[in-house]
Amino acid sequence: MVVTQLGGTPPVKSRRPLVGDRRPRTDRDSGGFARARRIVGSALLIVFALALLVPFFWMVASSLKGPNEVFSIPVRWLPETWHWEHYVELWTDTGMATWLRNTIILSTVVTFLQVLTGSFAAYGFAKVRFPGRDVLFLVYLGTIAVPWQSYMIPQYIMLAQAKLTNTLLALIVLQAFGAFGVFLMKQFFETIPEELSEAARIDGLSEYSIWARIMLPLSVPALAALALLTFVNTWNDYLGPLLYLRSKENWTVQLGLKNFIANNITADYSMLFTGLTISVIPIAVVFLLGQRFFIEGIATSGLKG
Amino acid sequence: MTSAVTDPVRTPMRRRSKLAVRNTLLGWSFILPNFLGFAIITLVPVVTLFYIALTDFNVFGKGDFIGVGNFVKLVSDPLFQRSLLNTFYYSAMHVPLTIVVSLGLALLLNTKLRGVSFFRTAAFFPYITSIVAIALVWNLLFSPDAGPINEVLRFLGVANPPGWLTSQDWAMPAVVIISTWRDMGFYMILFLAGLQAVPRELYEAARVDGANVVQRFWNVTLPGLRPTMFLVTVLLTIASFKVFDLIIVLSPGGNAAPNQATVVLSQFIYQKGFVESKFGYASAGAVVLFFLCIVATIIQFLINKRRSA
Amino acid sequence: MKRTIAPAIGLVVAASLTLAACGAQEPAEPEGPVTLTLSGWSLDTTPEFQVLADGFHDANPNVTVEVVEYDAAEYNTLLTADLGAGSGPDIITQKEVKFVPVFVDGEQLLDVSDVELPDGLGGVESYQVDGTQYAVPYRQDSWVLYYNKDIFDAAGVDYPDGSWTWDDYDDAAAELTTAEHFGTYEHRWQSTTQGFANAQWDGDIFSGDYSYFSDLYEQRLAREGAGYQIDFATSSANSPTYQGEFGTQHAAMLPMGTWYVATLIAQQASGEAQDFNWGFAPIPQRSESTTDNPVTFGDPTGFGINAAIPEEEVAAAKAFLAYAASADAASLLAGIGITPALTSDEVAEAYFAVDGAPTDDVSKFAWSTHDTKPENPTSGETAAVQSILGTMHTEILTKAKTLDQAIDDAAAAFSAL
Repeated sequence: MVVTQLGGTPPVKSRRPLVGDRRPRTDRDSGGFARARRIVGSALLIVFALALLVPFFWMVASSLKGPNEVFSIPVRWLPETWHWEHYVELWTDTGMATWLRNTIILSTVVTFLQVLTGSFAAYGFAKVRFPGRDVLFLVYLGTIAVPWQSYMIPQYIMLAQAKLTNTLLALIVLQAFGAFGVFLMKQFFETIPEELSEAARIDGLSEYSIWARIMLPLSVPALAALALLTFVNTWNDYLGPLLYLRSKENWTVQLGLKNFIANNITADYSMLFTGLTISVIPIAVVFLLGQRFFIEGIATSGLKG
Repeated sequence: MTSAVTDPVRTPMRRRSKLAVRNTLLGWSFILPNFLGFAIITLVPVVTLFYIALTDFNVFGKGDFIGVGNFVKLVSDPLFQRSLLNTFYYSAMHVPLTIVVSLGLALLLNTKLRGVSFFRTAAFFPYITSIVAIALVWNLLFSPDAGPINEVLRFLGVANPPGWLTSQDWAMPAVVIISTWRDMGFYMILFLAGLQAVPRELYEAARVDGANVVQRFWNVTLPGLRPTMFLVTVLLTIASFKVFDLIIVLSPGGNAAPNQATVVLSQFIYQKGFVESKFGYASAGAVVLFFLCIVATIIQFLINKRRSA
Repeated sequence: MKRTIAPAIGLVVAASLTLAACGAQEPAEPEGPVTLTLSGWSLDTTPEFQVLADGFHDANPNVTVEVVEYDAAEYNTLLTADLGAGSGPDIITQKEVKFVPVFVDGEQLLDVSDVELPDGLGGVESYQVDGTQYAVPYRQDSWVLYYNKDIFDAAGVDYPDGSWTWDDYDDAAAELTTAEHFGTYEHRWQSTTQGFANAQWDGDIFSGDYSYFSDLYEQRLAREGAGYQIDFATSSANSPTYQGEFGTQHAAMLPMGTWYVATLIAQQASGEAQDFNWGFAPIPQRSESTTDNPVTFGDPTGFGINAAIPEEEVAAAKAFLAYAASADAASLLAGIGITPALTSDEVAEAYFAVDGAPTDDVSKFAWSTHDTKPENPTSGETAAVQSILGTMHTEILTKAKTLDQAIDDAAAAFSAL
């Protein structure tokens, strides 16, 4: 088996044309019939997309409603008077800036740690054969199987003994070493042919170098997926911050918003939705920008028969 | 070279065990950073949970060791039986439906055509929308008298459209629909990442061989997606067994009292542990949930191993 | 291997819980000012804690009471976590009566039987477990019937005068319903129907026989069916708030707890609720025989003392409890619209002197004269039974089961407990 990719340089990522783009054009691609199909197809897709976004639209519309208008009978989709000032009030009347800062710090650090330690451990599980590996992996998976509420109190007591309650550090420690990242990266590493690693080993690379210079660059889609999903989950987490963050300066966005509503005589849900809408924007931006990383083609070229 | 001339049986063993030691150290050096944090923060409390399941502790840790008493009680507890049944019912519907939908979405949206990123983002929005908004809007959509879904059904000729979230028979299907709608973006992303690992040349080769779209899917895409499929199936199964927050917000009346049609294991655990303060008993329920997930995972693990051989 | 691990882990758990308790008992300064921590919630909109803390400090300058804020919705869970970790407050506010037995079982509350309580203090029995007093009530809400005087006038219906039965209530609801508003609004909580059934039919939730709920549920189903109030399914789907429904004059009547008085006054002042004349009357009775002392239900809110409190602080803590139940505190609370556990003419005056409060006699009567039964009997099994009854409530009102079927199933679930 001739391996044409040797040496210390990792395979180059190239943009490969994707399935469907290089199909030879036939009669069915042009003409009125095809156009009608495309239009109907696009129309269906648009309807589908709108259906996906309906609750979000309702949320945004509700954020602009007056008090006592959000939950009403019959339901109102659009506000009677548009309260744009909610978006200003949210910054001035609440601690939104602090909450955002805390949430950004928390989400970024947890994501970074999860991706780093997760992919590192995944390499051990995927590429190194040692006794007890499978059992240990099952133990990891097992902990995902237990609902967090079942052990959150003993866990809390443990962290309280370590004087970590009411700190962001507690949440970082809780969420940075999860099994999810290990699992995701392990599955992805398994799709990377062993020959690449072997070639690198022959070249004298240590396992750690293989991880850093071969595995990681080839796993950009999986790393991107892991980073995005971890970021979103940490961003939207409510119960964890609720249990651990007691002082106002430590609150995250979800916690601050819920508290703001509870502390409001009228339980003004419109402000809650204003906050939630603002909270969704960073995630949407991250997703839009990061999309191309999921769809990046990877080159496994260079491996010829 | 006299050292090489040794008992032929012993040499391979010694080399093998040396290799095993080296590999163990190597493997652990990779795993250790993650494992250390995981073991201390998660593993210890989870193991504690197993101990608590053998007691009748209340939430303050006061109580006695009662061995398997909790498990005996679980067997004859009608609420537990109901939640177990509902959990299986929910998972049996939710897992295949979500896999099909999210895989379909991933395949459909795995292109670089213009505007696709809009649709991908749209598919992801349900996952990041607030659950309060989700519950309210879907309650409205599913409203038996005034909701659009039933209006469409009536328009299509269905005489007595179901009561959805307010009925005993149709509440769980309604929850499954909402849950799939919410989760599909998440798993779509995992599938999208997995699709990138399928080598392009295989598609080319298949096309050259005359395979059509369906054949390419079965013979190139699916096998290439095997590791991702294992990931998605395991995560999805465990998440389905554990479902909790969506069930709570979609229960009619919002009084969090268990609704016979939709009460699931996680809700049973929460009810017994935090509402009734029977922490030991609740922990026993959690242990059952744990074993269910483990068994399902092991089955999938073995299937996966066999396929990869 | 397993046999040694389990007790070892048990030791770890027990040890950490004990360590937590021990840690809190390290002696603090023996002399000097005392600071007590007290758990509260929604501090911005619930001023009662700070009012009591300040009032006590004025009377005892040596003692400062610090209010610690907890999330209102998850109060008990967070409090439990803190108590387990040894960082709980010195004075534990009892937000819900059904958790008192849990705290007592968990040995978290000090015996406060020696705290002197004034006569006629409402809700005292709710805090007794096995004859021992574990907390002291400072606030006792009860359920009354709010009504919109303007709508009544427009429909030509007489105001409730304290002699109504449930049939009178039905008749009024029918006459008051127009295209613009419902006759009445009953919230989704199980207590809106079950609380009255328990109180007025002398129902015992531990009897396993729930047929006494039928009358009120039948009447409620009839009202919803006739369109005099929003039906439960629609209410569940749309999640209207009771403050919104009554405050925007969407319903002419509202059975609700006395805590709503302060909220309605505040909302009318801020414009979030519409401007209309309102009052409240005793809740409709089962029969006219109880008109002189209307039967209703309600649970108290009270203070308990953390069992892990340092020795030197116990006296101060008990003094605070006594203060909270006293007439002075009651007047202070009435002045901010809270219904204290100790009612008297003086206290009533303070309550009704608040700007925006109704001033008619029926309201005053409803507030001061009532036979308030506990909503939740104090027992370790209350939470479990209430859950069963909550399920029954939903099943009846969503018509998932017939009334009789739901009641029978609830009885079966109870015996399976």
